[in-house]
Amino acid sequence: MTADALSSVCNLGVLDSLSEASIFEILESWNGFCKITETMVKGDDADLSPFYSKFQSNVSSLCKYGLQSLVEEHFLLSLQETLEKHSAPKFWKNFDAYSNKTDLETNDQNMQEDEVELLLCKALEEISLEKQYQEKCLLMLVNTLQICQDYPSDVEKIFFSKYRLIVSSVLMTTLPRQFPEVLHWYFKGRLEELSTIMAGDYEENNDKNGMELDGNYDQKKILENKLVKNIGMVVHNLRNLGFTSMTEDAYASAIFLLLKAKVYDLAGDDYRSSVLESIKGWIQAVPLQFLHALLDYLGDSIIYFSPESTKSPLASNPSSCYPGTGKPSEGIIRWQLRLEYFAYETLQDLRIAKLFEIIVDYPDSAPAIEDLKQCLEYTGQHSKLVDSFISALRYRLLTAGASTNDILHQYVSTIKALRTIDPAGVFLEAVGEPIREYLRGRKDTIKCIVTMLTDGTGGNNNGPGNSGDSLLEEINRDEENQENTGIDDDINTDDKQAWIDVQRWEPDPVEADPQKGSRYRRKVDVLGMIVGIIGSKDQLVNEYRVMLAEKLLNKTDYDIDTEIRTLELLKIHFGENSMQKCEIMLNDLIGSKRINTNVKTTINQLSQTGGESHEDKTSFDILNATIISSNFWPPIQDEDVNIPEPLDKLLNDYAKRFHEIKTPRKLLWKKNLGTVKLELEFEDRTLQFTVTPVHASIIMQFQNQTSWTSKNLADAIGMPVDTLQRRINFWISKGIVSESSGTDPNDHLYTLVDSMADGGKTVISNEELVADDDAERSVASVEDQLRKEMTVYEKFITGMLKNFGSMALDRIHNTLKMFCVSDPTYDKSLQQLQSFLSGLVAEEKLELRDGAYFLKK
Amino acid sequence: MTTMNNQDSNNSNNRTAAPPTNASKQPLPTPKAVDTQSVLKRLQSELMALMMSGDSGISAFPEEDNIFCWKGTISGSKDTVFEGTEYKLSLSFPNDYPFKPPVVKFVTGCFHPNVDVFGNICLDILQDKWSSAYDVRTILISIQSLLGEPNTSSPLNTQAAALWGNQEEYRKMVMEKHLYKKPTA
Repeated sequence: MTADALSSVCNLGVLDSLSEASIFEILESWNGFCKITETMVKGDDADLSPFYSKFQSNVSSLCKYGLQSLVEEHFLLSLQETLEKHSAPKFWKNFDAYSNKTDLETNDQNMQEDEVELLLCKALEEISLEKQYQEKCLLMLVNTLQICQDYPSDVEKIFFSKYRLIVSSVLMTTLPRQFPEVLHWYFKGRLEELSTIMAGDYEENNDKNGMELDGNYDQKKILENKLVKNIGMVVHNLRNLGFTSMTEDAYASAIFLLLKAKVYDLAGDDYRSSVLESIKGWIQAVPLQFLHALLDYLGDSIIYFSPESTKSPLASNPSSCYPGTGKPSEGIIRWQLRLEYFAYETLQDLRIAKLFEIIVDYPDSAPAIEDLKQCLEYTGQHSKLVDSFISALRYRLLTAGASTNDILHQYVSTIKALRTIDPAGVFLEAVGEPIREYLRGRKDTIKCIVTMLTDGTGGNNNGPGNSGDSLLEEINRDEENQENTGIDDDINTDDKQAWIDVQRWEPDPVEADPQKGSRYRRKVDVLGMIVGIIGSKDQLVNEYRVMLAEKLLNKTDYDIDTEIRTLELLKIHFGENSMQKCEIMLNDLIGSKRINTNVKTTINQLSQTGGESHEDKTSFDILNATIISSNFWPPIQDEDVNIPEPLDKLLNDYAKRFHEIKTPRKLLWKKNLGTVKLELEFEDRTLQFTVTPVHASIIMQFQNQTSWTSKNLADAIGMPVDTLQRRINFWISKGIVSESSGTDPNDHLYTLVDSMADGGKTVISNEELVADDDAERSVASVEDQLRKEMTVYEKFITGMLKNFGSMALDRIHNTLKMFCVSDPTYDKSLQQLQSFLSGLVAEEKLELRDGAYFLKK
Repeated sequence: MTTMNNQDSNNSNNRTAAPPTNASKQPLPTPKAVDTQSVLKRLQSELMALMMSGDSGISAFPEEDNIFCWKGTISGSKDTVFEGTEYKLSLSFPNDYPFKPPVVKFVTGCFHPNVDVFGNICLDILQDKWSSAYDVRTILISIQSLLGEPNTSSPLNTQAAALWGNQEEYRKMVMEKHLYKKPTA
């Protein structure tokens, strides 16, 4: 039948067969149809039944002539017209008030939100009613058409989808700019309201640990349900009007905003607790519940999936969160993943921005680090961390104002903290590089490192809380990790370690720099990373040797237990061979103790049998010698000093005795080294001091003669006048000796201050260490040694800079390597050169600008 | 034109023409047997000697990749019109050094009777009076003293030679040129 009708339309011949009457009938029916349609469509929700019979007859007569397509088109067109002219403008008119109020939004947000809510609901209700009415009209048409002609059964669906398309396109084309914002406000307001309801509920749940719900809870539940229903209604209406995606955007952004605020609120500036779990809990409790209720209301959560198949690693036990409904819908899971990812990312950004502070209080901030680790595992944005942290370091740590010790401590904390986040040490490599680079430019880096390494155990002046011992702890722990492998079988250790490494192998992270060998970074070894600053362990060992020498030489007892322990630990890490000299130094100390006792007892026996004076015997008791094998010790500073006669004799006797016992060895005294404990007896007081031999010699000269001119005193002690003047300041500052200018302006007069009254108040300043200036050091420092070696190259460096103007570090290094080949072959590392050059810069011989060195004019 | 072989130059250069050189730097002349290794060694030891000598006002250093090409710097001696100036030189050594002299040129323009506009230097020890006993240091010292004591009788730069008589004007000229050259130097 339909086919016939269609063909008759196409067949123009049919027109001829139309009689006058039928034409009239068609026109009549058409006019009638149009009129009824108009009144129907324009009409309010009046009863449609009066029109029904007339409408039906008109339509059926038109159908008879195969004009049903015209009927359909006209009807839909008139519906569209009404929408365009009437309903849509009316709907949008509601929101006109907000068209230019965006800037006011911040001022009276709350008030507006309430307004928006009411307005939106009302407007939506209105337009929905109108829509319903039109649908009713449409239904009538469909029914009529179905009666007249044998339409397929799904024609109703086709008509309605056509209609929906019309509605949404009409609304979309006239959409005012501010509408999405209005929606956003609305959802934001609703969600906040909901979250306050739920938050209390969530906390309560937490407190009661999931106990049964009480009346209060029920009330909340009702409130909540009402709210959700309200929102659901709005969403439903919006969807019907074709705003599905816009609505989703609006509530998604509202949820994300809320989540972000929540994360900021929870995370804050407290790094001592982990917040990730509570954030996750909140996501479950508030936004997901809301979405769940919403989707439920809308009837979207129909499709069920078995939780196994879609379970994400994060949704550890999703079904437990939805009591009653059982399995969550796919939509909910998708939402959960989205929300969690967003939460992770927000938290991660927050933490990364504060990473510097977090690392500053590292051991305390471990939970925050742990959070960050989880976030990064999920988001994989490690590079963000590296970039941001490096810039923070540059800005806050690597400045002239930061002390080397602080930088080192931060470096160690960084290593430890990042090791948690990234066990392979790939990012650590990137982050550590600027710190290392910077530390290399500092002169006292090596010294600070060695102090950090070794001072922890000594702990005599710093308490056990000193962070210095954390490094030693580090070494200790590593030592324990190397499960009972003997120190002496290195091969075994290596094999075992290699096997452990192989077993632990994991592919490198994607961000790993392929240029750096991966074996190298398998183990993040704090000590290794620190040695990496200096470039070679030899320098570190050398510095340690100097410090050890200093320490040993100043010991009055032979107690070297802590040093032995430190040495053993160092040996594990740096190898037996590099620590050999240090070991010999310690052995010297042990040997000294033995020999010292030996020498003294034999001398005492001799003196008893030989019947020598008692004075000598007691004298030997006050003498302890440290006998060193000077070949293995760092260069020792020499200074001439005349020891008072009786003591000198004592030393000679001791040396003689030593020679007798240890032939052919001879003992050479370094008279300026060591310490002297002495007691000064005055008429009214006695004072005790521990001083250097030089100071002791000076004060002993005053024993017999209370007043000396500086020249005479210098002669008596055997040192230059200027050195004497510097040294005697110690006694002057103690108020033991007073200085006055004598007759000769160059020749000062020193007088022993006899009693308290004489010298006025004792001027004992706190600067006991005044005497311990640089010249006081018994061992030439590593820098001094390096300096001496480097002066040869200084001339080369000035030579090349003179002719080439400016050169970068690398180029200077290479040029030295190239041309400095004869007698003192250039064999220094880049780091050594750098520290030497920075020394020259400090002396204002060179200038460093933009990474290039210049001669200072 | 190319040589300065008259008494005047002898007079001006005899101080520098016989510098103290140690015997070891004067290997037996075996002119044809060119051994790059020994040339390298010779240049290296010259560099070391130059660096260690600590002469002020003269300096030279090989370019990074080629020990046969050196850059030199000399400053004008005190109490001459060239006082306070600094000139860059280039020294390139032949493969049979020290049997042939190096080619030495001024890189910085130098207003001097015996230096032409291209920086070529007219100095006897760099031409026919060369001896393998000379080395970089003596060459540089010779050039430095040539600055203050030019040979005006066979000039490369006649204008400079003419002006030499008027030391005050000459000084002005030198400073002018030097200041003018400075930014590019």
